[in-house]
Amino acid sequence: MAGTVIGEGLTIEGELTGDEEVVVHGTLRGALTTSDALSVAAGGVVEADLTASSVTIAGQVTGNVTAQERVDIQAGGRLVGDVKSARFTIADGASFKGSVDMDV
Amino acid sequence: MAAASIIGRGTTVRGNVRGAGSVEIRGRVEGDVEVDGDVAVGEDGAVGGNISGAQILIAGQVQGDLTGSEAVLLERGARVVGDLVAPRIGIADGALVRGSVRTEGEPTAPRRAAVSPTRRTADTFSAKPKPVAPPAKVAPPVAQKPVAAAAPAPAPAVAQADPPPGPPAPVVPALGKGVRGKKKAKRS
Repeated sequence: MAGTVIGEGLTIEGELTGDEEVVVHGTLRGALTTSDALSVAAGGVVEADLTASSVTIAGQVTGNVTAQERVDIQAGGRLVGDVKSARFTIADGASFKGSVDMDV
Repeated sequence: MAAASIIGRGTTVRGNVRGAGSVEIRGRVEGDVEVDGDVAVGEDGAVGGNISGAQILIAGQVQGDLTGSEAVLLERGARVVGDLVAPRIGIADGALVRGSVRTEGEPTAPRRAAVSPTRRTADTFSAKPKPVAPPAKVAPPVAQKPVAAAAPAPAPAVAQADPPPGPPAPVVPALGKGVRGKKKAKRS
């Protein structure tokens, strides 16, 4: 189970930092930094710059995303912002607006 | 209802947490927590800010006011610096509280019942484990000294009523008795 879960209906306004997995079903505004995986579930809304080892987006994200390993936008997911990661996938049905830096 | 939220042990939130559902805090929150469900602060959890919710269960540290629409419950090991307000308030033996306690609803009887356990737990807690720094600061009862000083003049009956139930020996010092005795003698 994930270390930190922002449940549906919950809103965090501010800065979240940690060293464990984070799952967002609710709303986060501000900034999020974790050294583990981050998942924005369908229905989750994030307006923040994100830094994590890997980022999976099935909800809505507005902000720049930086990942050590990979960024995946799943079908139905939506990302507006720049992505910096060695691996980056956009599933069919996902929406994305921003630039990509794969550290080439 | 909304799913339960968890602030994990390795996570710090600087900002406010609010919304629907219940929250369990195992990490740190530096900001207010305001939900319509229950709030639980685990043993290692720490909150620097006010907490409001339905039922608030504290086993960790809180620096802020606790307002429960149903209840505020402090478990053993809890350390709270702030005011407690709820219809039901429970303070377990070994919990440390510094602040005022108010049970909403019934006016007189519940209030006194709620206040006296607070002092007792605070006293017993500070008397036993001295290694922790904060309890030692709490221990010198700033509020109680003025009470002891003010009490002898108007009502000696109150002063006599205090010693039997109250455990803290230093609070009712030998000085008090001597002072009262002299005053009585002078007046009579």
